[in-house]
Amino acid sequence: MENVRKIIENFTCEYVENYKKTWLKAKLSSKDDLLNLSEAIKKEGLRSLSTVSPTDFLEDNIMEMNYFFEDLDTKRNLWLKVDLPRDKEGCKIESLTPLFASANWHEREAFSMFGVQFLNHPDLREIIKSEDFKGVYPFRKDFDWDAHEKNQTQNIQQIVDAFKKEQNENEKDLDPDSSETILNWGPTHPASGPIRLRVHCDGEEVISIDPDIGYVWRALEHLVTKKDFVGAIVAVERLCFMDNINSMVGYCMAVEEIAEVEITPFASWMRVLLGEVARVSSHFMGLGGFFNNMGLHTLGMWNMDTREFFLDFLESYSGARIATASIEPGGVRYGLDMSMFDELQKALDKFDNSVGEVEAVFVKNPTMKLRSDNVGILTKEEVHEFGLSGIVARASGVKTDIRIDEPYAAYGELDLEYITQEKGSAKDRFMMLFLDLKQSVEIIKKAKAHIEKAVADAKMNPTKDHMVKVPKKLPKGEAISRVEWARGEVLMHLVTEEKAKTPYRLKMRAPSFNHTMMLNHLLKGQTLADIPLIFGSLYICQGDLDR
Amino acid sequence: MILQILNRTLRVAKALMTPSPANKDVRYEAMHNPSRYRGEHRVDYETCIGCDSCNKICPTHAITMKKFPFKKQNIVPEVSLSVCIFCGLCEDVCPTKPEKSIILSGGRYDMLSGGWHEDQNDFWVHTDVPQSYIDSRLEDEEATRVKKELATKKKVAEAEAKKKAEAGEEIKKVETTLPDFNKGVLE
Repeated sequence: MENVRKIIENFTCEYVENYKKTWLKAKLSSKDDLLNLSEAIKKEGLRSLSTVSPTDFLEDNIMEMNYFFEDLDTKRNLWLKVDLPRDKEGCKIESLTPLFASANWHEREAFSMFGVQFLNHPDLREIIKSEDFKGVYPFRKDFDWDAHEKNQTQNIQQIVDAFKKEQNENEKDLDPDSSETILNWGPTHPASGPIRLRVHCDGEEVISIDPDIGYVWRALEHLVTKKDFVGAIVAVERLCFMDNINSMVGYCMAVEEIAEVEITPFASWMRVLLGEVARVSSHFMGLGGFFNNMGLHTLGMWNMDTREFFLDFLESYSGARIATASIEPGGVRYGLDMSMFDELQKALDKFDNSVGEVEAVFVKNPTMKLRSDNVGILTKEEVHEFGLSGIVARASGVKTDIRIDEPYAAYGELDLEYITQEKGSAKDRFMMLFLDLKQSVEIIKKAKAHIEKAVADAKMNPTKDHMVKVPKKLPKGEAISRVEWARGEVLMHLVTEEKAKTPYRLKMRAPSFNHTMMLNHLLKGQTLADIPLIFGSLYICQGDLDR
Repeated sequence: MILQILNRTLRVAKALMTPSPANKDVRYEAMHNPSRYRGEHRVDYETCIGCDSCNKICPTHAITMKKFPFKKQNIVPEVSLSVCIFCGLCEDVCPTKPEKSIILSGGRYDMLSGGWHEDQNDFWVHTDVPQSYIDSRLEDEEATRVKKELATKKKVAEAEAKKKAEAGEEIKKVETTLPDFNKGVLE
């Protein structure tokens, strides 16, 4: 950490300060230093750029850029800020994509949403937002959404026209005598979900892939700023329905940090418990999805059966199976009725009874191993370069897990170990998912036992301890929080204004965004039949891809 | 060989004998129905204080406030179930005690099933307030209003009496002209 600080102090900074245990926060005085500084810290070892998050300060006429650098090995992180002028001519900064490959799409997103121009970016096209937002920047504070929505028919026509134009022209440059085509994989492909891959292929062979994303863009980061701090959870949880609890945990941690509120031990243990239940229910779908994409639906069905028991517990606790909305700033939303643990025990028993069968039939499946052991290989180096996280990173042997690196809720009290695989192939990612699932179930058991014991010893009151009051108006401030989500690292960057009733800006860095970026890299030179397999193994969810 | 065949027949026979787990018509009976289940809203118009906070917090603008002719506490929430996402924040934020005026938990789960719906109104929680309640509220308010007015009238009684007398004369003049006009039309 000291080395990083020394490097930063070589440049003129407004401030350099320690933030949390693993972070350094600094603000550059001039945007011209950015490129040199990032080159220096890349040499020092901070090789991944987690995300780029602009914040639009309308009154100060400033566009504040936030860069989050990470070192997955030594767990040193840097939060770097630099101010840009807000007007469209001056809002320009050097692109970091030549240095950090992971910056590519994040800079494209910042460009589409805020209109920040990145100089020397190799491929600065608009991303995520639909065609009717072309040339306007919807997340800027002076963008008029109401006026935009008034021309709805015209907007839809614009989207249709753009799509037709693309269909007419996408094969224009191809050699008519060759067998090259542009193939649309998705959004109605059974394995794709709402994403479209423009697959440029020559017969069976894939030449390049250009994902078209944004089919489920809901502008969640904007919606959050329209709600109060409690109401925002329903927008945050819609990051992805499969693991909605952990995204709310991340958001609530950021709010609590600004409000300077400490939650009770009961609430933090409940966050662990609920978060792991959500992770389990997500992993069940991921495991099933992997086999579904290979054409075998049995595992998916078996998993759905077991998953239902876990969802029953969530439903008993919160009143809804999927969109639970059960984590609020200040703790967890509901008290716990201890009889609900009987239902959780039922789910755990069901899991213990069925996991052996799943392991024997699917995890040790020789056909699956043959098919997937040599495709979609990600090396350790690529994980660092592209800022991958979660099971995808751990499958390549990189020891990264926010639950251990930067313990939140009650994870610090649990004795967790990194689970990794070596090779980083599609099979390893599947194995990783399965091992992670087993680890999660173990954590649930530990958390459940801990809560039961503490309640029996009268150290926790399950009906009263669940909430601490958080003031409705927060002071001016900003915070970041990271959680280990089912799919990887979620980073929340929350900014509030003085006496704020609503978040001023919430950036949600979602792991699927980075993982989808890998598709072109992984599938180049492979065959068409590998697309669903590799796509399935990357465990992508379109909810957090588009937000 | 024979043993194997016997074994397998036995297994099949067993499977045929065990009752299927899918024996419930989930349109009418839920597989799992916890007490906290966030279902259809119930609105208590008598305890509702008309504070509008459920409307303000609703993330999808599913709540509209129905207005009544009386003056105080004169709005009551109505919910469009086809817009609602059943997050339950309206129940959380409701300030009435001990019972909340708008409750989802433990609500009906079969509101969207059970036959064919042709009208969007089937997906609304309408707050049907009987006319007698409105009338009684109006009467109450009228009574308090009259009480207040009498109190103020005592203070400015004389001046008001004069003005009213003048106004009364004018109205009488208008009334006398009307019958003449009607007569002309009839003839």
